[in-house]
Amino acid sequence: MLIPSLLAERPGLHVHARYLSLFLATRLLGYLVFAVVAWELGAMISLQAPTRPLIFAFIHLLLAGVLLRYAYSVGKACNRRIERRELVTIGTAMRHPVSGAAALGFLTGISLCPPFVAAGVRAAETSSLAAAILFFAIFFVGTSVWFVPFTGLGWIRRNEAITTVARMAMALIAFFYLYAGLMTLIGKHLYGA
Amino acid sequence: MAPNTQTARESRSVGRSLLLTLPIVVWALLMSSAAYGHANRAQWIASAVTVLFMITLFFMMMRTSSTYRWRRWFFVALGLLFPVGFIHQVMVFRGTMGIPIEEMIAGRTPFCFLPIPLLILPAAFTKTLVFPGSILPNGGMSGGGMAAMAAVWLAVTLVVGKGWCSYACFFGGIEEGMASLPAKAKVRKIDPRWRYGPWAVLLAMVLLSLALFEPAYCMWLCPFKAVSEYVAARNTVGLIQNGIFIALFAGLVIVLPLLTKKRTQCAFFCPFGAFQSIFNKISVFEIKIDKSRCTPCVLCQKSCPTMALTDESIKQGETLMSCMKCGACVDACPKGAAVWHIRGTEVALRPERARLMFLYAAWAMSIMFAGGIIAEGLATILHIFI
Repeated sequence: MLIPSLLAERPGLHVHARYLSLFLATRLLGYLVFAVVAWELGAMISLQAPTRPLIFAFIHLLLAGVLLRYAYSVGKACNRRIERRELVTIGTAMRHPVSGAAALGFLTGISLCPPFVAAGVRAAETSSLAAAILFFAIFFVGTSVWFVPFTGLGWIRRNEAITTVARMAMALIAFFYLYAGLMTLIGKHLYGA
Repeated sequence: MAPNTQTARESRSVGRSLLLTLPIVVWALLMSSAAYGHANRAQWIASAVTVLFMITLFFMMMRTSSTYRWRRWFFVALGLLFPVGFIHQVMVFRGTMGIPIEEMIAGRTPFCFLPIPLLILPAAFTKTLVFPGSILPNGGMSGGGMAAMAAVWLAVTLVVGKGWCSYACFFGGIEEGMASLPAKAKVRKIDPRWRYGPWAVLLAMVLLSLALFEPAYCMWLCPFKAVSEYVAARNTVGLIQNGIFIALFAGLVIVLPLLTKKRTQCAFFCPFGAFQSIFNKISVFEIKIDKSRCTPCVLCQKSCPTMALTDESIKQGETLMSCMKCGACVDACPKGAAVWHIRGTEVALRPERARLMFLYAAWAMSIMFAGGIIAEGLATILHIFI
Protein backbone atom coordinates (compact mmCIF):
# COMPACT_ATOMS: atom_id res chain seq x y z
CA MET A 1 0.00 0.00 0.00
CA LEU A 2 2.96 2.32 0.46
CA ILE A 3 3.75 2.74 -3.24
CA PRO A 4 0.23 3.80 -4.32
CA SER A 5 -0.12 6.15 -1.37
CA LEU A 6 3.27 7.76 -2.11
CA LEU A 7 2.32 8.16 -5.75
CA ALA A 8 -0.86 9.90 -4.66
CA GLU A 9 1.13 12.59 -2.87
CA ARG A 10 2.77 15.58 -4.48
CA PRO A 11 6.16 15.08 -6.11
CA GLY A 12 9.37 16.13 -4.45
CA LEU A 13 11.99 14.37 -2.41
CA HIS A 14 11.27 16.53 0.64
CA VAL A 15 7.56 15.72 0.50
CA HIS A 16 8.25 12.02 0.28
CA ALA A 17 10.84 12.22 3.02
CA ARG A 18 8.23 13.89 5.24
CA TYR A 19 5.68 11.25 4.31
CA LEU A 20 8.03 8.38 5.08
CA SER A 21 9.17 9.99 8.33
CA LEU A 22 5.57 10.31 9.49
CA PHE A 23 4.71 6.82 8.25
CA LEU A 24 7.69 5.25 10.02
CA ALA A 25 7.21 7.28 13.20
CA THR A 26 3.63 6.08 13.61
CA ARG A 27 4.71 2.60 12.57
CA LEU A 28 7.26 2.68 15.39
CA LEU A 29 4.51 3.84 17.71
CA GLY A 30 2.47 0.83 16.61
CA TYR A 31 5.43 -1.47 17.20
CA LEU A 32 5.99 -0.08 20.69
CA VAL A 33 2.31 -0.32 21.59
CA PHE A 34 2.44 -3.94 20.51
CA ALA A 35 5.63 -4.48 22.52
CA VAL A 36 3.95 -3.18 25.67
CA VAL A 37 0.81 -5.25 25.09
CA ALA A 38 2.83 -8.38 24.25
CA TRP A 39 4.95 -8.08 27.35
CA GLU A 40 2.06 -7.20 29.66
CA LEU A 41 -0.18 -9.97 28.39
CA GLY A 42 2.62 -12.52 28.12
CA ALA A 43 2.58 -12.39 24.32
CA MET A 44 0.33 -13.94 21.72
CA ILE A 45 0.73 -17.45 23.09
CA SER A 46 -1.35 -16.50 26.06
CA LEU A 47 -4.12 -15.00 23.93
CA GLN A 48 -7.06 -17.29 23.41
CA ALA A 49 -7.11 -18.81 19.91
CA PRO A 50 -10.38 -17.13 18.83
CA THR A 51 -9.11 -13.69 19.92
CA ARG A 52 -6.09 -13.54 17.65
CA PRO A 53 -8.01 -13.85 14.34
CA LEU A 54 -10.42 -11.18 15.53
CA ILE A 55 -7.54 -8.77 15.99
CA PHE A 56 -6.23 -9.68 12.51
CA ALA A 57 -9.68 -9.12 11.03
CA PHE A 58 -10.24 -5.82 12.79
CA ILE A 59 -6.92 -4.39 11.67
CA HIS A 60 -7.45 -5.52 8.08
CA LEU A 61 -10.90 -3.95 8.00
CA LEU A 62 -9.49 -0.73 9.42
CA LEU A 63 -6.75 -0.74 6.79
CA ALA A 64 -9.35 -1.22 4.07
CA GLY A 65 -11.39 1.68 5.39
CA VAL A 66 -8.39 3.99 5.70
CA LEU A 67 -7.18 3.15 2.19
CA LEU A 68 -10.58 3.83 0.67
CA ARG A 69 -10.92 7.07 2.58
CA TYR A 70 -7.37 8.02 1.59
CA ALA A 71 -8.14 7.40 -2.09
CA TYR A 72 -11.24 9.57 -1.77
CA SER A 73 -9.32 12.32 0.06
CA VAL A 74 -6.65 12.44 -2.65
CA GLY A 75 -9.37 13.16 -5.18
CA LYS A 76 -10.80 15.94 -3.04
CA ALA A 77 -7.37 17.45 -2.50
CA CYS A 78 -6.70 17.43 -6.25
CA ASN A 79 -10.11 18.93 -6.98
CA ARG A 80 -9.50 21.85 -4.62
CA ARG A 81 -6.74 23.04 -6.96
CA ILE A 82 -4.95 24.86 -4.19
CA GLU A 83 -1.29 24.62 -3.48
CA ARG A 84 -1.02 21.67 -1.14
CA ARG A 85 1.65 22.28 1.42
CA GLU A 86 0.59 19.47 3.67
CA LEU A 87 0.34 15.77 3.06
CA VAL A 88 -3.04 14.33 2.17
CA THR A 89 -5.26 14.07 5.21
CA ILE A 90 -8.19 11.77 5.71
CA GLY A 91 -11.32 13.05 7.38
CA THR A 92 -10.90 16.62 6.24
CA ALA A 93 -14.26 17.61 7.72
CA MET A 94 -12.96 16.91 11.24
CA ARG A 95 -11.35 19.58 13.35
CA HIS A 96 -8.09 17.69 13.53
CA PRO A 97 -7.80 15.69 10.37
CA VAL A 98 -5.42 12.77 10.45
CA SER A 99 -2.62 12.47 7.98
CA GLY A 100 -3.05 9.44 5.72
CA ALA A 101 0.61 8.60 6.21
CA ALA A 102 0.18 8.53 9.98
CA ALA A 103 -2.93 6.36 9.86
CA LEU A 104 -1.38 3.85 7.48
CA GLY A 105 1.89 3.81 9.41
CA PHE A 106 0.20 3.05 12.71
CA LEU A 107 -2.08 0.39 11.26
CA THR A 108 0.80 -1.39 9.54
CA GLY A 109 2.71 -1.11 12.80
CA ILE A 110 0.11 -3.07 14.72
CA SER A 111 -0.77 -5.38 11.83
CA LEU A 112 -0.09 -8.91 13.00
CA CYS A 113 1.88 -10.58 10.24
CA PRO A 114 3.54 -13.90 11.21
CA PRO A 115 7.09 -12.51 11.66
CA PHE A 116 5.57 -9.83 13.84
CA VAL A 117 3.80 -12.36 16.01
CA ALA A 118 7.01 -14.36 16.30
CA ALA A 119 8.79 -11.18 17.38
CA GLY A 120 6.00 -10.60 19.89
CA VAL A 121 6.60 -14.01 21.42
CA ARG A 122 10.29 -13.25 21.62
CA ALA A 123 9.60 -9.88 23.26
CA ALA A 124 7.30 -11.45 25.82
CA GLU A 125 10.13 -13.70 26.92
CA THR A 126 12.38 -10.77 27.81
CA SER A 127 12.99 -9.97 31.41
CA SER A 128 11.54 -6.49 31.50
CA LEU A 129 9.24 -4.10 29.68
CA ALA A 130 12.21 -1.93 28.73
CA ALA A 131 13.92 -4.93 27.13
CA ALA A 132 10.76 -5.74 25.16
CA ILE A 133 10.52 -2.15 23.92
CA LEU A 134 14.20 -2.13 23.00
CA PHE A 135 13.79 -5.40 21.12
CA PHE A 136 10.95 -4.01 19.05
CA ALA A 137 12.78 -0.75 18.44
CA ILE A 138 15.67 -2.68 16.93
CA PHE A 139 13.21 -4.87 15.01
CA PHE A 140 11.74 -1.65 13.67
CA VAL A 141 15.13 -0.30 12.56
CA GLY A 142 15.88 -3.56 10.79
CA THR A 143 12.62 -3.51 8.82
CA SER A 144 12.56 0.24 8.18
CA VAL A 145 15.83 0.35 6.30
CA TRP A 146 13.99 -1.14 3.31
CA PHE A 147 11.64 1.84 3.15
CA VAL A 148 14.32 4.45 2.54
CA PRO A 149 14.62 3.87 -1.24
CA PHE A 150 10.92 4.67 -1.64
CA THR A 151 11.83 8.32 -1.16
CA GLY A 152 12.99 8.14 -4.76
CA LEU A 153 9.37 8.03 -5.89
CA GLY A 154 9.42 11.76 -5.26
CA TRP A 155 11.33 12.16 -8.51
CA ILE A 156 8.39 10.90 -10.54
CA ARG A 157 6.38 13.73 -12.03
CA ARG A 158 2.76 13.82 -11.01
CA ASN A 159 -0.13 14.30 -13.36
CA GLU A 160 -3.74 13.19 -13.55
CA ALA A 161 -2.70 9.76 -14.84
CA ILE A 162 -0.34 8.97 -11.95
CA THR A 163 -2.75 10.24 -9.30
CA THR A 164 -5.71 8.37 -10.77
CA VAL A 165 -3.72 5.15 -11.07
CA ALA A 166 -2.58 5.52 -7.47
CA ARG A 167 -6.12 6.08 -6.23
CA MET A 168 -7.52 3.14 -8.17
CA ALA A 169 -4.69 0.87 -6.98
CA MET A 170 -5.36 1.92 -3.37
CA ALA A 171 -9.01 1.04 -3.82
CA LEU A 172 -8.14 -2.38 -5.27
CA ILE A 173 -5.75 -3.16 -2.43
CA ALA A 174 -8.37 -1.92 0.04
CA PHE A 175 -10.85 -4.43 -1.39
CA PHE A 176 -8.31 -7.17 -0.83
CA TYR A 177 -7.92 -6.13 2.82
CA LEU A 178 -11.69 -5.95 3.11
CA TYR A 179 -11.97 -9.49 1.80
CA ALA A 180 -9.18 -10.71 4.13
CA GLY A 181 -10.81 -9.03 7.14
CA LEU A 182 -14.29 -10.36 6.42
CA MET A 183 -13.09 -13.88 5.70
CA THR A 184 -11.05 -13.92 8.91
CA LEU A 185 -14.02 -12.57 10.82
CA ILE A 186 -16.28 -15.39 9.69
CA GLY A 187 -13.59 -17.94 10.38
CA LYS A 188 -12.82 -18.92 6.81
CA HIS A 189 -9.49 -19.54 5.09
CA LEU A 190 -8.18 -16.76 2.88
CA TYR A 191 -6.65 -18.98 0.23
CA GLY A 192 -7.12 -22.15 -1.74
CA ALA A 193 -8.50 -25.57 -1.00
CA MET B 1 0.54 15.03 -51.80
CA ALA B 2 4.07 13.67 -51.69
CA PRO B 3 5.16 11.46 -54.64
CA ASN B 4 4.79 7.67 -54.35
CA THR B 5 2.35 8.14 -51.54
CA GLN B 6 -0.60 5.83 -51.79
CA THR B 7 -3.32 6.71 -49.33
CA ALA B 8 -4.35 3.85 -47.14
CA ARG B 9 -7.78 3.57 -48.76
CA GLU B 10 -7.08 3.05 -52.48
CA SER B 11 -8.05 -0.43 -53.71
CA ARG B 12 -5.58 -2.64 -55.49
CA SER B 13 -6.09 -4.83 -58.50
CA VAL B 14 -6.79 -8.52 -57.96
CA GLY B 15 -3.50 -9.52 -59.55
CA ARG B 16 -1.42 -7.20 -57.44
CA SER B 17 -3.31 -8.22 -54.30
CA LEU B 18 -2.63 -11.91 -55.07
CA LEU B 19 1.05 -11.18 -55.58
CA LEU B 20 1.27 -9.39 -52.23
CA THR B 21 -0.57 -12.28 -50.57
CA LEU B 22 1.83 -14.90 -51.93
CA PRO B 23 4.34 -14.78 -49.04
CA ILE B 24 1.49 -15.30 -46.61
CA VAL B 25 0.24 -18.27 -48.65
CA VAL B 26 3.68 -19.90 -48.46
CA TRP B 27 3.96 -19.20 -44.75
CA ALA B 28 0.47 -20.47 -43.98
CA LEU B 29 1.04 -23.70 -45.88
CA LEU B 30 4.36 -24.19 -44.11
CA MET B 31 2.78 -23.67 -40.70
CA SER B 32 -0.16 -25.96 -41.40
CA SER B 33 2.08 -28.78 -42.61
CA ALA B 34 4.08 -28.59 -39.39
CA ALA B 35 1.00 -28.49 -37.15
CA TYR B 36 -0.21 -32.09 -37.20
CA GLY B 37 1.90 -35.21 -37.41
CA HIS B 38 -0.87 -37.65 -38.29
CA ALA B 39 -3.95 -35.56 -38.81
CA ASN B 40 -7.34 -37.18 -38.75
CA ARG B 41 -10.03 -36.07 -41.15
CA ALA B 42 -11.49 -33.39 -38.91
CA GLN B 43 -8.06 -31.95 -38.20
CA TRP B 44 -7.16 -31.97 -41.86
CA ILE B 45 -10.34 -30.14 -42.83
CA ALA B 46 -9.98 -27.68 -39.94
CA SER B 47 -6.39 -26.96 -40.90
CA ALA B 48 -7.34 -26.40 -44.54
CA VAL B 49 -10.23 -24.12 -43.62
CA THR B 50 -8.00 -22.11 -41.27
CA VAL B 51 -5.30 -21.66 -43.91
CA LEU B 52 -7.88 -20.56 -46.46
CA PHE B 53 -9.48 -18.24 -43.92
CA MET B 54 -6.23 -16.50 -43.03
CA ILE B 55 -5.10 -16.21 -46.64
CA THR B 56 -8.48 -14.83 -47.73
CA LEU B 57 -8.48 -12.22 -45.00
CA PHE B 58 -4.99 -11.09 -45.89
CA PHE B 59 -5.94 -10.95 -49.56
CA MET B 60 -8.91 -8.74 -48.69
CA MET B 61 -6.64 -6.49 -46.63
CA MET B 62 -4.47 -6.09 -49.71
CA ARG B 63 -7.36 -5.69 -52.13
CA THR B 64 -9.35 -3.13 -50.13
CA SER B 65 -6.40 -1.45 -48.39
CA SER B 66 -8.34 -1.53 -45.17
CA THR B 67 -7.18 -3.48 -42.16
CA TYR B 68 -9.57 -3.32 -39.23
CA ARG B 69 -12.67 -5.15 -40.45
CA TRP B 70 -10.73 -8.06 -41.91
CA ARG B 71 -8.47 -8.36 -38.85
CA ARG B 72 -11.59 -8.33 -36.73
CA TRP B 73 -12.95 -11.46 -38.43
CA PHE B 74 -9.76 -13.30 -37.52
CA PHE B 75 -9.71 -11.93 -34.02
CA VAL B 76 -13.32 -12.81 -33.23
CA ALA B 77 -12.80 -16.30 -34.67
CA LEU B 78 -9.78 -16.70 -32.40
CA GLY B 79 -11.68 -15.45 -29.37
CA LEU B 80 -14.60 -17.81 -29.98
CA LEU B 81 -12.66 -20.91 -31.01
CA PHE B 82 -9.95 -20.80 -28.35
CA PRO B 83 -12.37 -21.65 -25.51
CA VAL B 84 -13.90 -24.41 -27.65
CA GLY B 85 -10.59 -26.18 -28.20
CA PHE B 86 -9.20 -25.44 -24.75
CA ILE B 87 -12.25 -26.48 -22.77
CA HIS B 88 -12.47 -29.65 -24.84
CA GLN B 89 -8.86 -30.50 -24.00
CA VAL B 90 -9.42 -29.76 -20.34
CA MET B 91 -12.50 -31.98 -20.23
CA VAL B 92 -10.65 -34.81 -21.99
CA PHE B 93 -7.70 -34.63 -19.59
CA ARG B 94 -9.49 -33.90 -16.34
CA GLY B 95 -13.21 -34.15 -16.84
CA THR B 96 -13.67 -30.72 -15.29
CA MET B 97 -12.75 -27.09 -15.96
CA GLY B 98 -11.71 -26.72 -12.33
CA ILE B 99 -8.02 -27.22 -11.64
CA PRO B 100 -7.54 -29.50 -8.66
CA ILE B 101 -4.96 -28.29 -6.17
CA GLU B 102 -2.99 -31.48 -6.80
CA GLU B 103 -2.45 -30.46 -10.44
CA MET B 104 -1.25 -27.04 -9.35
CA ILE B 105 1.20 -28.55 -6.86
CA ALA B 106 2.50 -30.89 -9.56
CA GLY B 107 3.17 -27.88 -11.81
CA ARG B 108 0.68 -28.91 -14.49
CA THR B 109 -1.27 -25.65 -14.69
CA PRO B 110 -1.24 -24.37 -18.27
CA PHE B 111 0.42 -20.97 -18.59
CA CYS B 112 -1.05 -18.11 -20.56
CA PHE B 113 0.66 -14.75 -21.17
CA LEU B 114 -1.47 -12.72 -18.73
CA PRO B 115 0.60 -13.39 -15.59
CA ILE B 116 3.93 -12.52 -17.23
CA PRO B 117 4.20 -9.02 -15.66
CA LEU B 118 3.29 -10.41 -12.23
CA LEU B 119 6.16 -12.86 -12.17
CA ILE B 120 8.96 -10.38 -12.73
CA LEU B 121 9.38 -8.78 -9.30
CA PRO B 122 9.07 -11.99 -7.26
CA ALA B 123 11.57 -13.64 -9.63
CA ALA B 124 13.95 -10.70 -9.32
CA PHE B 125 13.84 -10.71 -5.53
CA THR B 126 13.68 -14.42 -4.82
CA LYS B 127 14.60 -16.25 -8.06
CA THR B 128 11.24 -17.98 -7.82
CA LEU B 129 8.44 -18.15 -10.38
CA VAL B 130 5.23 -17.71 -8.45
CA PHE B 131 3.07 -19.59 -10.94
CA PRO B 132 2.03 -23.22 -10.33
CA GLY B 133 3.29 -24.35 -13.70
CA SER B 134 6.45 -25.74 -15.21
CA ILE B 135 9.10 -23.97 -17.19
CA LEU B 136 9.24 -26.91 -19.62
CA PRO B 137 6.34 -29.23 -20.63
CA ASN B 138 5.34 -31.41 -17.74
CA GLY B 139 2.59 -33.63 -19.06
CA GLY B 140 -1.13 -33.31 -18.44
CA MET B 141 -2.38 -29.81 -19.18
CA SER B 142 0.97 -28.08 -18.70
CA GLY B 143 1.07 -27.39 -22.41
CA GLY B 144 4.30 -26.12 -23.92
CA GLY B 145 5.49 -24.84 -20.57
CA MET B 146 6.11 -21.32 -19.38
CA ALA B 147 9.29 -20.94 -21.40
CA ALA B 148 7.50 -21.55 -24.70
CA MET B 149 4.78 -18.98 -24.02
CA ALA B 150 7.30 -16.43 -22.75
CA ALA B 151 9.43 -16.92 -25.87
CA VAL B 152 6.46 -16.46 -28.21
CA TRP B 153 5.32 -13.41 -26.27
CA LEU B 154 8.77 -11.82 -26.38
CA ALA B 155 9.24 -12.48 -30.10
CA VAL B 156 5.85 -11.06 -31.03
CA THR B 157 6.10 -8.09 -28.68
CA LEU B 158 9.56 -6.99 -29.80
CA VAL B 159 8.27 -6.70 -33.36
CA VAL B 160 4.71 -5.45 -33.04
CA GLY B 161 4.62 -3.99 -29.51
CA LYS B 162 1.07 -3.77 -28.26
CA GLY B 163 -0.08 -5.20 -31.57
CA TRP B 164 -0.14 -8.42 -29.55
CA CYS B 165 -3.52 -7.26 -28.25
CA SER B 166 -4.91 -7.15 -31.79
CA TYR B 167 -3.16 -10.06 -33.47
CA ALA B 168 -2.29 -12.68 -30.84
CA CYS B 169 -4.38 -12.37 -27.68
CA PHE B 170 -6.79 -15.27 -27.71
CA PHE B 171 -9.12 -13.57 -25.22
CA GLY B 172 -9.77 -10.17 -26.77
CA GLY B 173 -11.79 -11.47 -29.69
CA ILE B 174 -14.82 -12.22 -27.55
CA GLU B 175 -15.33 -8.64 -26.47
CA GLU B 176 -14.37 -7.32 -29.89
CA GLY B 177 -17.13 -9.47 -31.30
CA MET B 178 -19.56 -8.19 -28.69
CA ALA B 179 -18.57 -4.60 -29.39
CA SER B 180 -19.22 -4.99 -33.09
CA LEU B 181 -22.76 -6.37 -32.69
CA PRO B 182 -24.77 -3.21 -31.98
CA ALA B 183 -25.19 -0.65 -34.73
CA LYS B 184 -24.79 2.24 -32.28
CA ALA B 185 -23.40 2.65 -28.81
CA LYS B 186 -25.99 3.12 -26.10
CA VAL B 187 -23.41 4.63 -23.75
CA ARG B 188 -21.36 7.24 -25.59
CA LYS B 189 -19.85 9.32 -22.84
CA ILE B 190 -17.14 7.48 -20.99
CA ASP B 191 -15.01 9.24 -18.39
CA PRO B 192 -11.53 9.24 -19.95
CA ARG B 193 -9.98 8.53 -16.54
CA TRP B 194 -11.13 4.92 -16.87
CA ARG B 195 -8.29 4.53 -19.37
CA TYR B 196 -5.93 4.48 -16.39
CA GLY B 197 -7.67 1.40 -14.99
CA PRO B 198 -5.28 -1.15 -16.52
CA TRP B 199 -2.30 0.61 -14.94
CA ALA B 200 -3.98 0.61 -11.55
CA VAL B 201 -4.81 -3.08 -11.87
CA LEU B 202 -1.22 -3.76 -12.97
CA LEU B 203 0.25 -1.86 -10.02
CA ALA B 204 -2.08 -3.47 -7.48
CA MET B 205 -1.63 -6.98 -8.89
CA VAL B 206 2.17 -6.68 -9.09
CA LEU B 207 2.33 -5.55 -5.46
CA LEU B 208 -0.10 -8.22 -4.28
CA SER B 209 1.76 -10.91 -6.24
CA LEU B 210 4.98 -9.85 -4.53
CA ALA B 211 3.32 -9.79 -1.11
CA LEU B 212 1.34 -13.00 -1.41
CA PHE B 213 3.72 -14.99 -3.63
CA GLU B 214 1.02 -15.94 -6.07
CA PRO B 215 -0.13 -14.66 -9.47
CA ALA B 216 -2.77 -12.46 -7.88
CA TYR B 217 -4.55 -11.54 -11.13
CA CYS B 218 -5.03 -15.19 -12.06
CA MET B 219 -6.23 -16.06 -8.58
CA TRP B 220 -8.68 -13.17 -8.18
CA LEU B 221 -9.44 -10.96 -11.15
CA CYS B 222 -9.06 -12.71 -14.50
CA PRO B 223 -12.40 -12.53 -16.34
CA PHE B 224 -11.31 -15.20 -18.80
CA LYS B 225 -11.28 -17.89 -16.18
CA ALA B 226 -14.96 -18.11 -17.04
CA VAL B 227 -14.07 -19.54 -20.47
CA SER B 228 -10.91 -21.46 -19.73
CA GLU B 229 -10.17 -23.00 -16.38
CA TYR B 230 -10.12 -21.94 -12.77
CA VAL B 231 -9.33 -23.18 -9.29
CA ALA B 232 -11.78 -25.90 -8.33
CA ALA B 233 -14.48 -24.42 -6.09
CA ARG B 234 -14.13 -26.77 -3.16
CA ASN B 235 -14.78 -24.19 -0.47
CA THR B 236 -15.96 -20.63 0.21
CA VAL B 237 -12.77 -19.11 -1.21
CA GLY B 238 -13.18 -21.01 -4.48
CA LEU B 239 -16.81 -19.94 -4.73
CA ILE B 240 -15.87 -16.29 -4.19
CA GLN B 241 -13.09 -16.49 -6.75
CA ASN B 242 -15.30 -18.04 -9.38
CA GLY B 243 -18.06 -15.57 -8.62
CA ILE B 244 -15.64 -12.71 -9.27
CA PHE B 245 -14.46 -14.27 -12.54
CA ILE B 246 -17.98 -14.74 -13.84
CA ALA B 247 -19.10 -11.27 -12.77
CA LEU B 248 -16.10 -9.62 -14.42
CA PHE B 249 -16.55 -11.65 -17.59
CA ALA B 250 -20.23 -10.81 -17.81
CA GLY B 251 -19.63 -7.15 -17.12
CA LEU B 252 -16.39 -6.31 -18.90
CA VAL B 253 -16.48 -8.76 -21.79
CA ILE B 254 -20.19 -9.06 -22.62
CA VAL B 255 -22.34 -6.25 -21.28
CA LEU B 256 -20.09 -3.19 -21.42
CA PRO B 257 -18.83 -3.87 -24.97
CA LEU B 258 -22.45 -4.24 -26.08
CA LEU B 259 -23.34 -0.91 -24.48
CA THR B 260 -20.29 1.10 -25.47
CA LYS B 261 -18.99 -0.59 -28.63
CA LYS B 262 -15.55 -0.47 -27.00
CA ARG B 263 -13.19 -3.20 -25.91
CA THR B 264 -13.85 -2.37 -22.31
CA GLN B 265 -11.87 -5.19 -20.68
CA CYS B 266 -8.83 -4.30 -22.75
CA ALA B 267 -9.19 -0.56 -22.45
CA PHE B 268 -10.16 -0.23 -18.79
CA PHE B 269 -8.97 -3.32 -16.95
CA CYS B 270 -6.39 -5.63 -18.49
CA PRO B 271 -3.06 -5.30 -16.64
CA PHE B 272 -1.21 -7.21 -19.34
CA GLY B 273 -2.35 -4.58 -21.82
CA ALA B 274 -0.86 -1.87 -19.64
CA PHE B 275 2.39 -3.83 -19.52
CA GLN B 276 2.36 -4.20 -23.32
CA SER B 277 1.89 -0.44 -23.67
CA ILE B 278 5.44 -0.01 -22.39
CA PHE B 279 6.71 -1.91 -25.41
CA ASN B 280 4.89 0.49 -27.72
CA LYS B 281 7.57 3.00 -26.78
CA ILE B 282 10.22 0.90 -28.52
CA SER B 283 8.12 -0.79 -31.17
CA VAL B 284 9.20 -0.27 -34.76
CA PHE B 285 5.65 0.15 -36.01
CA GLU B 286 3.19 2.78 -34.86
CA ILE B 287 0.26 4.84 -36.04
CA LYS B 288 0.71 8.55 -36.57
CA ILE B 289 -1.51 11.45 -37.55
CA ASP B 290 -0.34 13.52 -40.50
CA LYS B 291 -1.13 16.99 -39.18
CA SER B 292 -1.04 18.52 -42.66
CA ARG B 293 -4.03 16.43 -43.66
CA CYS B 294 -5.93 16.26 -40.39
CA THR B 295 -9.07 18.51 -40.30
CA PRO B 296 -9.72 17.36 -37.33
CA CYS B 297 -13.00 15.52 -37.60
CA VAL B 298 -12.13 13.17 -34.69
CA LEU B 299 -13.63 10.20 -36.53
CA CYS B 300 -10.45 8.36 -35.58
CA GLN B 301 -11.11 9.09 -31.93
CA LYS B 302 -14.67 7.80 -32.15
CA SER B 303 -13.66 4.66 -34.01
CA CYS B 304 -10.87 3.64 -31.62
CA PRO B 305 -12.05 0.63 -29.61
CA THR B 306 -9.73 1.43 -26.71
CA MET B 307 -9.86 5.26 -26.55
CA ALA B 308 -6.21 5.53 -27.56
CA LEU B 309 -6.74 8.88 -29.28
CA THR B 310 -7.50 12.13 -27.50
CA ASP B 311 -7.87 15.69 -28.77
CA GLU B 312 -4.43 16.46 -27.43
CA SER B 313 -2.77 13.42 -28.94
CA ILE B 314 -4.36 14.14 -32.31
CA LYS B 315 -2.94 17.68 -32.16
CA GLN B 316 0.45 16.18 -31.41
CA GLY B 317 0.06 13.81 -34.34
CA GLU B 318 0.18 10.55 -32.44
CA THR B 319 -1.80 7.94 -30.59
CA LEU B 320 -1.50 7.22 -26.88
CA MET B 321 0.83 4.42 -25.82
CA SER B 322 -2.21 2.19 -25.31
CA CYS B 323 -2.71 1.93 -29.09
CA MET B 324 -3.24 -1.68 -30.12
CA LYS B 325 -2.47 -1.12 -33.79
CA CYS B 326 -5.82 -2.56 -34.86
CA GLY B 327 -6.10 -0.10 -37.76
CA ALA B 328 -9.59 1.18 -36.94
CA CYS B 329 -8.52 4.83 -36.93
CA VAL B 330 -6.61 4.49 -40.20
CA ASP B 331 -9.62 2.95 -41.90
CA ALA B 332 -12.00 5.53 -40.41
CA CYS B 333 -10.00 8.60 -41.44
CA PRO B 334 -11.57 10.19 -44.54
CA LYS B 335 -8.50 12.32 -45.29
CA GLY B 336 -5.84 9.65 -45.01
CA ALA B 337 -4.30 11.56 -42.12
CA ALA B 338 -4.12 8.58 -39.77
CA VAL B 339 -1.34 6.47 -41.20
CA TRP B 340 0.87 3.52 -40.44
CA HIS B 341 4.40 4.56 -39.68
CA ILE B 342 7.85 3.09 -39.17
CA ARG B 343 9.67 4.73 -36.29
CA GLY B 344 12.47 7.01 -37.40
CA THR B 345 11.06 7.70 -40.85
CA GLU B 346 9.12 10.67 -42.13
CA VAL B 347 5.42 10.61 -41.27
CA ALA B 348 3.09 9.79 -44.18
CA LEU B 349 5.88 9.45 -46.73
CA ARG B 350 5.08 5.82 -47.57
CA PRO B 351 2.27 4.81 -45.23
CA GLU B 352 1.14 1.86 -47.31
CA ARG B 353 4.63 0.41 -47.26
CA ALA B 354 4.71 0.77 -43.48
CA ARG B 355 1.32 -0.91 -43.32
CA LEU B 356 2.49 -3.78 -45.50
CA MET B 357 5.62 -4.36 -43.46
CA PHE B 358 3.61 -4.35 -40.26
CA LEU B 359 0.95 -6.67 -41.64
CA TYR B 360 3.46 -9.18 -42.95
CA ALA B 361 5.06 -9.38 -39.53
CA ALA B 362 1.82 -9.38 -37.56
CA TRP B 363 -0.06 -11.75 -39.85
CA ALA B 364 2.80 -14.20 -40.03
CA MET B 365 2.88 -14.31 -36.26
CA SER B 366 -0.88 -14.63 -36.08
CA ILE B 367 -0.77 -17.62 -38.39
CA MET B 368 2.03 -19.22 -36.42
CA PHE B 369 0.57 -18.63 -32.98
CA ALA B 370 -3.17 -18.26 -33.41
CA GLY B 371 -3.69 -20.34 -36.54
CA GLY B 372 -3.21 -23.56 -34.62
CA ILE B 373 -5.65 -22.42 -31.96
CA ILE B 374 -8.33 -21.66 -34.54
CA ALA B 375 -7.75 -24.98 -36.29
CA GLU B 376 -7.95 -26.83 -32.98
CA GLY B 377 -11.27 -25.20 -32.14
CA LEU B 378 -12.65 -25.96 -35.59
CA ALA B 379 -11.48 -29.58 -35.40
CA THR B 380 -13.23 -29.94 -32.05
CA ILE B 381 -16.51 -28.81 -33.60
CA LEU B 382 -16.04 -30.95 -36.70
CA HIS B 383 -15.43 -34.04 -34.54
CA ILE B 384 -19.08 -33.83 -33.56
CA PHE B 385 -20.13 -34.36 -37.15
CA ILE B 386 -17.29 -36.41 -38.63
